[in-house]
Amino acid sequence: MIRSVTTRYALRSLRRNLKRTLLSAIGVAFGVGIGLIAISFVSGQMSMLYDAAARGGVGHLKVAPAGWNESRRTELRLDDFEAQLAAVRAVEGVRLAAPHAGARALLALGTRSVQVTLSGVDPTVEQAALRYVRELDEGDYLANDSELGPRQIVLGRSLVTRLDAEVGDELVVTSVDDEGEIQSALVVLVGVADVHNRQINDGISQVPLAMIEQLTGRPGATDISIVLDSYHDIERVQPRIVEALRSDNEALDMFEVSSEIRAGKAKSDGYTVAMLLVILLVVLMGVMSAQLTSVLERRKEFAVLAALGMRSRNLIAVLLTEGLALGVLSAAFAIAWAGPIVASWAAHGVDMSGLVQGEDTGVAQGSVLMELVFYPEFGLGFFVTAISLAVGATLVASIYPAVFASRTDPASALRVDR
Amino acid sequence: MSQNPEPELLARVRNVEKLFTSGKLEVQALRGLSFDVPAGDFLALVGPSGSGKTTMLNLLGALDRPTKGTVEVLGKDLGTLSKGERASLRLSSLGFVFQAYNLVPVLSAAENVEFVLELQGVGAAERRERSLEVLTELGLGELAHRRPNELSGGQQQRVAVARAIAARPRLVLADEPTANLDTESAETLMGMMRDLHEEHGTTFIFSTHDPRVVAHATRVVRLVDGKVASDVHKEREGSRRAVGSEGPNDGAE
Repeated sequence: MIRSVTTRYALRSLRRNLKRTLLSAIGVAFGVGIGLIAISFVSGQMSMLYDAAARGGVGHLKVAPAGWNESRRTELRLDDFEAQLAAVRAVEGVRLAAPHAGARALLALGTRSVQVTLSGVDPTVEQAALRYVRELDEGDYLANDSELGPRQIVLGRSLVTRLDAEVGDELVVTSVDDEGEIQSALVVLVGVADVHNRQINDGISQVPLAMIEQLTGRPGATDISIVLDSYHDIERVQPRIVEALRSDNEALDMFEVSSEIRAGKAKSDGYTVAMLLVILLVVLMGVMSAQLTSVLERRKEFAVLAALGMRSRNLIAVLLTEGLALGVLSAAFAIAWAGPIVASWAAHGVDMSGLVQGEDTGVAQGSVLMELVFYPEFGLGFFVTAISLAVGATLVASIYPAVFASRTDPASALRVDR
Repeated sequence: MSQNPEPELLARVRNVEKLFTSGKLEVQALRGLSFDVPAGDFLALVGPSGSGKTTMLNLLGALDRPTKGTVEVLGKDLGTLSKGERASLRLSSLGFVFQAYNLVPVLSAAENVEFVLELQGVGAAERRERSLEVLTELGLGELAHRRPNELSGGQQQRVAVARAIAARPRLVLADEPTANLDTESAETLMGMMRDLHEEHGTTFIFSTHDPRVVAHATRVVRLVDGKVASDVHKEREGSRRAVGSEGPNDGAE
C-alpha cells in the first residue's frame, strides 16, 4: 500500500485512459527496444574488435621501450628483456605475454623479392596468442624444437604468391644490422597463413626471435604483447604491469597502441550517442504529446488542486511520478520484446558471412581481422540500459507537460470549464 | 461569536474592479466593490448571472487578482502576494466547494479529503483519522472507500465540503454549492454547512441563485452589474421569513 495520496493519484491517473497509457508505453518500448538491439550489436562488435585486436598481435596491453609508441622504430629494444618478460608473466590477470622484435628485410626466391617487416616471435607463445597462425592454410607453424633452429619463416598467402614460393622452399632474407652492414640468411618456408584478407596476409612474416637477433645484431625484443581474459580487465591489470616495469619501459593499452581501435571506439561511442539521441528524440516527442494531451484534459482538475493549495512543485512532482511510472512500464515492455531476441543472438551469434562478397572474405577493420559471426552483448548492462533509456526519456518528456500544468491559472481554468 | 462586539475581520474588500479582456472584447465584471467579512459570517453572495459572484469568490480565494482596488484576507493584501504565497494561504486558511463538486475521480472519498491534509504535511495516520472523522460527521463514514462515480451528487458535494473543512480553514468559499443538487440534497447540504459554521465557527461565503439556500445565510450581499446592490445582516429565522416575503426570485435573479 502506497502511503502517499499524491503518489496514488499519479499512478491511478495513468489508468484513467489505459489505452493511451499502454500505447505510449508500447511506443517507448519499441523505440527503446530498437535502441537496445542496436547498442547490444555495437557493444558486441566492439568487444569482438578489441578481442580480435588483442589476439591479432596488438594485445590488450603492450610493454614497450619509452618512446616506441611515437616512433614505432623496430630497432628499439626493451630494457632488461628477460627479466621484464618474467615480471610481466608473474602479474595476476595476465593470460599470455608474447615478445616481439621487428626488422625491415627483403625476402627473395630466385628472381622474385618482396619487402617485409619481419616479426620475431617466441613460437610456442605466439601460437597461443595470435589467432592468425593457429590454423595454417598450409604447412606448420614455427617450432622451438625444429631441426631448422631459427631458420624458419611463416608467410601470409599473398606474400607467398608474389614470391611464387612453396612450403619447403629456401628464401634469402636480407637486412641491415646495427653496424650498418648487410646481413643475409637462408630461411625455410614452413607454413603459409591465409586469413582471406590481402592487407593482413601482407603483414604476416614471422620468424623466431633468434633470427631477428642474427640479422640485426640486437638481442631481446621490441615489445611484449599481453593478452588478458577480457578487455574489461585492462584498467584493473594495467597498474599492476606498471608496477612491474623496468625503468625505461612503459605499459600501453590497446587504445594507445592501435589507431584503428581508437577510431573504432570513437566511432562506436559516436554511433551509440547518435542512436541514443535519435531514440530519445522520437520517444520524447511521442511521450510529450501524450502527456500534454493528458494535461490538457485535466486542466480543470489541476485548477481545482491549485485552488486547494497544491503548489507548482507538488504538481510537477505528480506529473514526473507519472512519467517515471510510464518509463518503468515501458522498460518492462522493451525488455520483454527485445530481451529474448538479443539473448538468443548473444547465445547463438548472428552470421554475417552471407553479406561478404568478393575475393577477400576476411573482413578487417583497419589491420584487425574481424569475426563474421557477431555476438551482441547481453548481460546486466542490457537491463540497466533499458531502464535508464526508458525512464530517462519519459522523465525528460514529462518536464514540459509538468511545467505547463503547473502554470495553469486556476481562475481562468475554472471559469472556462464552468 | 454573536456575543463578540467586534469580531475579527477575515476579509476586507475595497473599491475592487475586475476587467476581463479577450482579444478586443472587454468585460467589466466588478465595478468598485467594497465590503467587509468578519469572522463567523455565513454570507450569501446573490445576484443574477454575470453579476460578478464567482469573480468575487475567486478574488477572495486568492485565485485571481483585482484589476483595481484591494482584497485583504486575514490581513494580507492578496494583490501583493506571489503565486506561491497565495497557494500557501489557500492551503492553510481557505477551503473551496465548487458547483460541479470537482472531486478527483481516481481517488476515494477518504483519499480526496486526505489529499489536502497531505499537502499540509499531516502524517498518514492522522490524515486517515481526520478524513474519516469529518466524513462521518457529514454522514459519509460508510462510503469513505468509494470513488466519486460511485456516489450520488449530494454525497459527492458532501465529500467536497469534507475536503474543504478537513484542513480546518478559517474561511470556506462555496460557488453555487447546491446548483447541481435536488431540493432534499441541497437542504441537507446547507444544514450541514450551517452546523459546521455554528459548531466550529468556520466562516462561509457562498454564491447562490437558490432562495432556500439564501434562507440559511446570516448575511446576504446582493450584487448587480458588478456592484453591491444591498448588504443585509439578519438573524437566520428572521431572514427566512424576510426572503420568503420578498418572493421566490429574490437574490436569485
